[in-house]
Amino acid sequence: MSAAPNLLDVTGLTVRFGGLVALDGVDVVVAEGETVGVIGPNGSGKTTLFNALTGLLAPAAGDVVFLGRRLTGLEAHAIARLGIARTFQASRLCLDLSAFDNILIGMHARRRTGLLDSVVRRGRLVGEMRAAIERASHLLALFNRDLPRRGFERVGQLPQIDRRRVEICRALAAGPRLLLLDEPSAGMNPEETAELMRDLRIVRDEMPGLSVVIIEHDMFVIEGVSQRVVAFNYGRKIAEGSFAEVARDAEVRAAYLGAETAHA
Amino acid sequence: MLGVMYALVAVGFTLFFGVLDVIHFSHGDIFMLGAFTGLTVLAGLRAAGVGGALLALPLTFAASILVTGAVGVLAERVCVKPLARASPLMTLLATLSLGLVIREAVLIFYPRGADPKPFPQLLPQGGVELGGVAIRYENLAILGIGLAAMVAVDRVIKSTKMGAAIRAVAQEPEAAQMMGVNLDRTVDATFFLGSGLAAVAGILSGLYYSEIHFIMGVTGGVIGFSAAAIGGLGNVYGAIVGGLLFGVLQTTAAALIPRGSEFRDVVAFAVVMLFLVFKPSGILGEKSVERV
Amino acid sequence: MSRDLAGVWLTEAAVFALVVAGILAERPWALGATGGALVVAGGLVRFVPRLGAALAGAFARRRAAALAGGAVLALALPLALRSSPYWTFVATLALLYVTTGQGLNFQIGTAGVINLAGAAFAGLGGYAVGLLTVAGGWPAWLAVLVGPWAAVLVGTILFVPILKTRGHYLALVTIAFVFIFNILVNNLEFTGGPQGIKNIPTLSLAGYAFTTPPALAGVELPAHANFYYAALVMAGLTTWVLRRLHDSWLGLALNTLRDDEIAARCCGVSVTRGKLLAFSIGNFFIGLGGAFYAVVVGFVSPPDFDFGYSLVMLSVIIIGGVDSIPGVVLGACLLVPLPERFRFLHEYRLLLYGVVIVVMLLYRPRGLWPARIRRYR
Repeated sequence: MSAAPNLLDVTGLTVRFGGLVALDGVDVVVAEGETVGVIGPNGSGKTTLFNALTGLLAPAAGDVVFLGRRLTGLEAHAIARLGIARTFQASRLCLDLSAFDNILIGMHARRRTGLLDSVVRRGRLVGEMRAAIERASHLLALFNRDLPRRGFERVGQLPQIDRRRVEICRALAAGPRLLLLDEPSAGMNPEETAELMRDLRIVRDEMPGLSVVIIEHDMFVIEGVSQRVVAFNYGRKIAEGSFAEVARDAEVRAAYLGAETAHA
Repeated sequence: MLGVMYALVAVGFTLFFGVLDVIHFSHGDIFMLGAFTGLTVLAGLRAAGVGGALLALPLTFAASILVTGAVGVLAERVCVKPLARASPLMTLLATLSLGLVIREAVLIFYPRGADPKPFPQLLPQGGVELGGVAIRYENLAILGIGLAAMVAVDRVIKSTKMGAAIRAVAQEPEAAQMMGVNLDRTVDATFFLGSGLAAVAGILSGLYYSEIHFIMGVTGGVIGFSAAAIGGLGNVYGAIVGGLLFGVLQTTAAALIPRGSEFRDVVAFAVVMLFLVFKPSGILGEKSVERV
Repeated sequence: MSRDLAGVWLTEAAVFALVVAGILAERPWALGATGGALVVAGGLVRFVPRLGAALAGAFARRRAAALAGGAVLALALPLALRSSPYWTFVATLALLYVTTGQGLNFQIGTAGVINLAGAAFAGLGGYAVGLLTVAGGWPAWLAVLVGPWAAVLVGTILFVPILKTRGHYLALVTIAFVFIFNILVNNLEFTGGPQGIKNIPTLSLAGYAFTTPPALAGVELPAHANFYYAALVMAGLTTWVLRRLHDSWLGLALNTLRDDEIAARCCGVSVTRGKLLAFSIGNFFIGLGGAFYAVVVGFVSPPDFDFGYSLVMLSVIIIGGVDSIPGVVLGACLLVPLPERFRFLHEYRLLLYGVVIVVMLLYRPRGLWPARIRRYR
């Protein structure tokens, strides 16, 4: 246990949709450089947690503190600028824009040139864009050395695994402190999943101080990348610990497999 | 009275949104088309010697509903359904342009289309005094016909198989299909129903104002859509409430504001703007929520 | 290398010659011949595979030269059309539609902000000029520079709350607005009622009144050519500015807002700021077109700025290609002169525009000159 303050401190987070309680008094902490896995059956509140963290949903109660700042009540774009980036369960890319454009938007918050530079002092903008595209190429190349060559193609024309990579690059491009990955292996076959695991390890190597929270249904991935696992059910945290500990937990097994098998 | 007509148009908008998640911007011009079709049928009947209201009116309604309903389905097949998958911007632009085509077609091809056309007075004239308020038989008839139409719609939606199909598709298109609902036919039926209602509204409008004009569809469409929005898109009863509300608002404002009747449309549009600015998802709530 | 240059300039000159010939042709057979030649040329480029690719390559490699060539031809147009002042006016009108079109395209195409009140915002610019010059005594050139800000101001005040809502609500509100605008200017005293504002003074820069016929290369041109050149500068500047804004952080952010608002927000893009910027910038240029129109024609009246014109402005964008800067230029150059040339079409103009839009959206939603991938040059 380190004495350093946590990167992310979530206390008593509650989110309601009308009468439905999607998150019920959830407490989660994430330390710097940690990778935390989040598991739980469908509808247990995992993506809702992400949405609340990134400001897309307003919590009914509770607090979120990130790097010492309260996030609750902030707009999504403000939270993004503070250093939280995410990917989405159903990939959200602009299919008609180039792969580079899709990554460049991740650097939007870090831009230095403004409207005036875009029109009048064009050289500055072109210079900044060139550097940004360099960075985007570098990120893409980490995952697939051929990808930067296709950077100016419409991202909709790339195969799905490469599109996932573009989305991850977009999240990384912002230089975040916290990366939220929502089911990155959804729809992937075992080979692609293995590549994904490799990709995630590359991310960890490239940015050692980065904290990652990853929602996954594929236990193989969770086991392979997480240092700590948190399990959800019906909007509540039901277990926390190492993968082995959580996998053994009776309530977790009941949630996934049904109450009868809990003590098997 | 006005409210009844707006309500009928609004129901169409809301049905289309419910079933296909589209805003059918040419629905207002379908309403206008219904009125003009009715006028043409009436003229034809007159020429054929059928002048009496008792016979001419139902025939006119029936013919206009059929024709306008068919045009509505055609519009949906050509313009709305193919683009329903694409971005909502495309459907919006396409239906807007389709409305333009319908409007211009009437302007160009109907003899002297630019002039307002007188609509025959088929309803009983005269009225009664009731507690100091003058009530005209004509208005009562319009109210009655409009209400009958709304009740008919309600019956269709609640009690027929097609109505159930419409409701199912509006809620969960995929689940509905898995249960055996024919998506295409349901959408066709919805558009026929909505357009038919608009036809009724159009003829009622002609009877009420004693004239129709090729541009009535734009105003009618804007108000109809706003009424549907106020009631919550996708919510049929909301649309009816919205339409009636609008009618009341417009009549009241026209009475209260000096030079009210000239600015009547301005008032309607201003109300639309104000309402959408402050409460776009309506009184009774909009249908869909985007999933993240 | 010089083959590219030759290819580019020859193509441009050929198109120019054919178009001018088509415009000026007196006899039906001449018109038919030029039209046929254009169709044949277009067909060759489209269907002979190597030809199309070679030309495209040449234009891509010699962009600066192509632009320069185009500029020269644009400057020479009044010279070629000098026998017909009317057609110089039509060319000016096309340039006005380029100006308003680029503004509207920035809103609808780039940012996905659906503005159906284009005519009203142009009208705000036009009426502002009318009021400033006739009632306020301002010089025309100053009024044209200040007028568009009326459009920006009104747009900001009225629409900030709605920009946050979904697209179809904004569309509806803008339709409502264009009707309100039309009815108000038609009925209010100070806007001149149905007659509008007349006798707007013509432009006069540093003593040079735009009513004096200019001379180009020693040849005297109709006085109207002055307006053409001014409009050319205006349309050129508009296109230049908006192209640079499109290929920048702002354009990228607006595209992302348009395509996926949630992803944009999570990347740090502020929805309100983005949409408001797009709306305001677009309204400025739309208002600019309307303002310039006022001094070209000399009067403004309610029927000049009604809902129908919003739809014409829309068709310019859709035909050329949403979010496509060159597309707007192409759209305006096609849509404005054609009904003038084929007079019998004039009555069916709006009907045809509507049909064209529907057909384009069904079969070529990207337009005739689709938007290209950003290169940030």
